[in-house]
Amino acid sequence: MSFTRTLIDNLRVKLGAMDPLPPPPPLPVVPYPPSRVFPTPRRRSAYAEAAAKHTTALVGIGHVGTRYATNVVLQFQAELAVAHAAVGTELPEGWAEANGLLPLHSQVTSHRQFLLRPDLGRRLDAPSLSRLGERARRGIDIQPILADGLSAIACMGSGLTLLGHFTRECEARGWSVGTPMCARFARVWLEDEIGETVNCKVAAILLGERPGLGTGDGLSAYLVYNPKIGRSDGDRNMMSNIHARGAPPEQAARRLAVLAGAMLDQKTSGVPLNLHGLDLGHEAGGGYRAPEPRVRLVYSGSDSSKEKA
Amino acid sequence: MNLSSSIRGVGYRFGSVKDVLAKSNPPKSGDDLAGISARDAVERVAARAVLAELTLADLRANPVVPFEIDELSRMVESTLNEDAYSAVKHLSVGQFREWLLEPTTRGPTLRAVAPGLTPEMAAATCKLMSNMDLLTVGAKCEVVVRANSTLGLPGRLSSRLQPNHPTDDVEGILYSTREGLSYGCGDAVIGVNPATDTPESTAQILTRLHEVRVKNNIPTQHCVLSHVTVQMKALDLGCPMDLMFQSMSGSEKGNRAFGISIALIDEAYAKMKAKTSNRGPNVMYFETGQGSALSSDAHHGADQVTLEARCYGFARRYKPFLVNTVVGFIGPEYLEDGPQITRAGLEDHFMGKLMGLPMGCDACFTYHARMTQDEVESLKVLLGVAGCTYLMSMPVGDDIMLNYQSTSFHDIPSVRGLLGKRPTPEFDAWLNEVGIMDGLKPGERFGDPGVLKR
Amino acid sequence: MILDRIVPRVLSVRRLPGADPALLAAYGADPKRHYALGLVTVDQDDPTYVALDEATKHARVDVVFAKSFYAGSAHASGALSGEILGVIAGADMADVDAGLHALIRCLEHDACFYTANDAGTITVFPHVVASLGRYLSAQSGLSVGQSMAYLVAPPMEHTIGLDAALKAADVRAARIFTPPTETNFAAAWLSGELTECQAAAEAYAAAVVEVGRSAWDRNLI
Repeated sequence: MSFTRTLIDNLRVKLGAMDPLPPPPPLPVVPYPPSRVFPTPRRRSAYAEAAAKHTTALVGIGHVGTRYATNVVLQFQAELAVAHAAVGTELPEGWAEANGLLPLHSQVTSHRQFLLRPDLGRRLDAPSLSRLGERARRGIDIQPILADGLSAIACMGSGLTLLGHFTRECEARGWSVGTPMCARFARVWLEDEIGETVNCKVAAILLGERPGLGTGDGLSAYLVYNPKIGRSDGDRNMMSNIHARGAPPEQAARRLAVLAGAMLDQKTSGVPLNLHGLDLGHEAGGGYRAPEPRVRLVYSGSDSSKEKA
Repeated sequence: MNLSSSIRGVGYRFGSVKDVLAKSNPPKSGDDLAGISARDAVERVAARAVLAELTLADLRANPVVPFEIDELSRMVESTLNEDAYSAVKHLSVGQFREWLLEPTTRGPTLRAVAPGLTPEMAAATCKLMSNMDLLTVGAKCEVVVRANSTLGLPGRLSSRLQPNHPTDDVEGILYSTREGLSYGCGDAVIGVNPATDTPESTAQILTRLHEVRVKNNIPTQHCVLSHVTVQMKALDLGCPMDLMFQSMSGSEKGNRAFGISIALIDEAYAKMKAKTSNRGPNVMYFETGQGSALSSDAHHGADQVTLEARCYGFARRYKPFLVNTVVGFIGPEYLEDGPQITRAGLEDHFMGKLMGLPMGCDACFTYHARMTQDEVESLKVLLGVAGCTYLMSMPVGDDIMLNYQSTSFHDIPSVRGLLGKRPTPEFDAWLNEVGIMDGLKPGERFGDPGVLKR
Repeated sequence: MILDRIVPRVLSVRRLPGADPALLAAYGADPKRHYALGLVTVDQDDPTYVALDEATKHARVDVVFAKSFYAGSAHASGALSGEILGVIAGADMADVDAGLHALIRCLEHDACFYTANDAGTITVFPHVVASLGRYLSAQSGLSVGQSMAYLVAPPMEHTIGLDAALKAADVRAARIFTPPTETNFAAAWLSGELTECQAAAEAYAAAVVEVGRSAWDRNLI
């Protein structure tokens, strides 16, 4: 052992290494905080104002350090809560019949199973298959199928409108359209079995898409030519964001009809389908349509009265 | 080759290497959906005990999709670097894991071994590792690539700016782009997922993004993530394109569902190398994600981690500038909740880096998966610690087109600040020059999109 | 906490068998007696002088060269320079190896600087050599086998500390190095009985710590 190290270790103890910790230094004086160091902005920034004419993305929201201001956090959490609520909603039994649609049901038996077992959501249960065989028109050009997908709220909301517009667009082009129907706990590929059973040229499933932040009202449409079990994603064409802030149902119905027309002309769909020159956006859109502003969800205290106004 | 083990006197036998790989996987709803997962935690460990004893040579000889029916298996086999392979082929998977964890095994060594590893080897090792093991090795891997800027240097964390818009309104896209740049985002790429998959809209968005980049002299790259065939047509229209994108799957059949094949991507790569507007040499951008093969019934009974690694085997053929696992996007049927998504993000980053790819991760969840905002924020920090090359970024993490929750513009400078990381050196210099950043701290113009010329 | 050990880092160790005679001569070795050299660089100079002396007690080697570098290791000329180069020489490589082992052992387990304030910005070397070897005895003019207190600190701390050491124990000053040394410290070698050298080192260290705590004299109005 080192002489010096022993010596200095002992001295260290003598000088206070074993003493209890010294009392903490007094707390620094807190600078006088004005009641509103960070005033919650009463109006949107000029950038947010200008951007809102073109996008619903939350921009121009500022920052505190590198994080959000408190009002942004609360708006965000409220929107998240809306989305989660939309996912949890189920299409009520009997809704299809009540709206004059042929009711169909996939092999899924519960909401959790619907989320975890897409394979069951792609096939009809036995009663639905026989009902389809007995009651649906066969040998048609287009078979539209309304379905819940991942938002029953969207299906019940603008689903009927989209189905109606799309059916009229198809009929106006002289195509034969199948029996209106609605499938519960349905996945996209369910259109293959339905389309094969009714022997249509193009199957078009219109279903609730995954809810977005603060929204649960978006629909998507998936079209496939010559539907039959075993078709894959590359065989389909799709249109998403069918809702008031994206493509509204009437506009979307026209675009979908153009898409279906291309499938009937080219006798194919999916990746091989040539979309060149179709000009889907403009032909169907008829000019630019500004998105709706994002809805402010959180009001509190003295603000609450403004919500009613 | 031994395929049996015993735990507390109970014997377990497995039918094939593929079976051992599947049953070794930590719990994933996608493996349950495929009906291939271990029946309980004990069988899972029994499978891992077998896996730990298999050699890397055994794994090379037994790809999870047979050579005869899969071009990816054949391509990986025929292009494997034999020198790198022979350095490690004799190791068992358990020994290989320990070798990776040794402090003496460092970045350059890992980079040298990468071309000798098959996807099955990376996936097998992954299954013997805990999350912290994955962080430890992931952080050691060094994969540096270059386009208009240099990505993947140590101490850096980059981001993709993702200014998506539900109707491809270019003005809307540009508002999000300018906002993101003002938060120091977008040094990996400014990449737009288009709502409309046409060459004309692809070319239009690229052209406008290019204007922003050139007018403000921003050292980054741009990309529109339409189908590769659409981008090839857009290139023919004569638009600027810094990176060419495609989604990938882990089997020939899965790729067919995406409308691609090795021959098609070879052709796209050749065209891109000739026509790209980036300085290179890396010009491609690929996205992957566990579960994509199963979703098109193209998994051949293999587990989703191994199939994910096979995407990386495909991607590395093209020396990509970016590879991104969109980890929580696919939904709860493949990754049910926060712990599964977190695990998958760390797995994918580890496997990709081990195979020599510049891995980024879209730490995200869809609103029908059981993951909380707090969990996804934690994952972003974990990925930063693991040395993840880049994360996504968009306004409040909300993709208004694809409807899922990812990384926000605010999260990127937050994670960088927490971990002392900086963007690519070229972009870092630009941020400091225009006053968005002041070293590691927000600068005077931080969060002010007015800093960008219109 | 004060008086934490700052263990020296040996930055390089090289063996040089059959060194060129011109080199041997230039570095103070005797080409007739010395065949092999052992060279070290270390980031602390005074512990290294002690360690070089230690080598002479364990092996048939001579310390032929030992010099501190200007302004110390914080201003080193390179990653391997530290603040001292020490060279031992012997007739045979095995002797030099034994000397190097003794030297490194001493740096790892015995001689080291200590922190003298909580921030670690003041350091002190209050070392006691129980029994001098051939090198330090020659340098100090003391005899082989005598005890010596080897005291080093920054100029102000050292001056106050040295006074305390001389008054606290029955020791005499063999050599006093007024500031600045090459590394801008100050030092002293005190000799006496082993227990007296210990008492002197202890008083020296305590005084250095005290100066660090009250840099301004409280009695000054």
